[in-house]
Amino acid sequence: MEKGFVENGFIIDLSDVKNTTQLVFELSSIMEHPDVKGKKICLKLGDLDLKQSQLLSIKALIESMDADIAFIDTNSEQTEASAISLGIIISELNEEEIPSITASSENDIKEESVQVKIEEIDDKKENLDKTIEVHADIEQSQNSPIETAEDIEDIYEEETTQEISEIIPREHFETNFETLAVNEGLVSKEEVSKYILLDTGDVLPVGVEENSINTEVLPTLYISQTLRSGQTVTYDGNILIIGDAHPGSEIVATGDITVWGILGGIAHAGSQGNVTSKVRALKLNAIQLRIAGLYARRNDTLNVPYVQKTNEFTPEEAKIEDGKIVIYKKLRRD
Amino acid sequence: MTGRVIVITSGKGGVGKTTTSANIGTALAKAGYKVVLIDTDLGLRNLDLLLGLENRIVYTIVDVIEERCKLKQALVKDKKNPNLSLLAAAQTRDKTAVNAEQLKEICDTLKEENDFVLVDCPAGIEQGFQNAVAGASEAIVVTTPEMSAIRDADRIIGLLEAKEEIKSYKLLLNRVRPSLIKSNEMMSVDDVVEILSCPLVGIIPEDTGIITSTNKGEPIVNDENALAGKAYRNVAQRILGEEVPFLDLDEPKGFVAKIKNVFAKLKAKV
Repeated sequence: MEKGFVENGFIIDLSDVKNTTQLVFELSSIMEHPDVKGKKICLKLGDLDLKQSQLLSIKALIESMDADIAFIDTNSEQTEASAISLGIIISELNEEEIPSITASSENDIKEESVQVKIEEIDDKKENLDKTIEVHADIEQSQNSPIETAEDIEDIYEEETTQEISEIIPREHFETNFETLAVNEGLVSKEEVSKYILLDTGDVLPVGVEENSINTEVLPTLYISQTLRSGQTVTYDGNILIIGDAHPGSEIVATGDITVWGILGGIAHAGSQGNVTSKVRALKLNAIQLRIAGLYARRNDTLNVPYVQKTNEFTPEEAKIEDGKIVIYKKLRRD
Repeated sequence: MTGRVIVITSGKGGVGKTTTSANIGTALAKAGYKVVLIDTDLGLRNLDLLLGLENRIVYTIVDVIEERCKLKQALVKDKKNPNLSLLAAAQTRDKTAVNAEQLKEICDTLKEENDFVLVDCPAGIEQGFQNAVAGASEAIVVTTPEMSAIRDADRIIGLLEAKEEIKSYKLLLNRVRPSLIKSNEMMSVDDVVEILSCPLVGIIPEDTGIITSTNKGEPIVNDENALAGKAYRNVAQRILGEEVPFLDLDEPKGFVAKIKNVFAKLKAKV
């Protein structure tokens, strides 16, 4: 890590970072330093390839700290092209051009403090590396040189599947509740079914047919507030709500519905006939669950309108299986 | 057959319109009549909660008016009594979604196949009230023995009298507390009737059972032992034209009360 003072500014040498994530991480750590405010930044980016959008976000990051990019130094053609299109000056950093650091003691102290900071970051990075090693067989593939783009993709895929299974192992999902009745009243097992299908007939709007579009590719509406009685959210895509959805509220999505809180109102996933849509919530207590053309009401025995808030969260997911709405429950691991 | 359309109204909020609608409706259905309850309180619907039918509502009155479904599809059958059904209000809309003519049309259609159509009116005297009253030929004005509720009931009676369609209106006195009347802290039933000069259809005592019944989603008329339930059953009978004496609301005297009474008399003598 090299740095120096240039005309009321810094040179930040990031030529040895390997990817953009690391770059942003390091850069933001350096930018936190109060001395950086109002200064001009010269970025040394080395061989790293940056797309226009990535460079733009880096620029935005620097500008958000009240600093400016003076120029960048790069060996990559792609980064150069991105910089040109964004109007960022590209310059070779010659050793002679860098004004020598003035020998005032004040500046020395500043430099030291920056240096310390970077060392701290290095420590953190090591820790990060360790945690990655714990649950990753990727190490092996990392050692072998990656040559083609295909290889990279393969590794990426491996990595993501690994991570997902780490968070939610499939075997820990189990059908604890099942809507057993096809029509009202036909409960075939002794346990109380949480939801009972309503005999509504054909409820899909005219001209809409059942489909199974992958909901993962749909856009998602992100809402961070409590939905109250009488409020409706409708969206062509997935809906993510951070907060509770109180009884009397209504959420209608053409894709999935996820509530990071208690779902107490009506939720309609796949409102345009998408049968692969799902409804999930930390506490699934919806008065009615609707997926595509299937409507289910909450069992009357669970109708206790005045008990709403709870501290017991059992994340649940509702989806269609064999023409029924089935609820999967996340089991506790204790 | 042509059924009777009765609007249940009050002017003031919180006097028990919805509770009255649910209970009279259930009582009439229990007596073997076909009853439809219409909730016209758009955006603040409660009648479905009182009947415990919230989870069964798929279509609302607004869906019927905007022709997203047929009227029959929107009627939700009661859990216990197949004679009773509910036409729910929309929770996500407001009073402007419906107009008086549309509601009259719905009432006219429903009264052809039912003995009773009970319309639960929203509080206030604006659009919501005008809508609810439009299709009705009879009215029950709910009030409590408080000055503010009586003043509002008086205003409502005035508005009802001005409407040609309303052939008769009756007063239902709710939340009466005999102990307070005895100690002269509450207006007596006679006082209220005198102030409003309106025929009485029922006197309902204050009953804590109402709170639990509302929370359970079970009308109190289903509880054979509750005094308020009995009072509501009597109201239903009066609506059917029977002569039923008003309940003696004096609290039933148990063994302890009798002893207390004796002691009180002894004390007075000493």
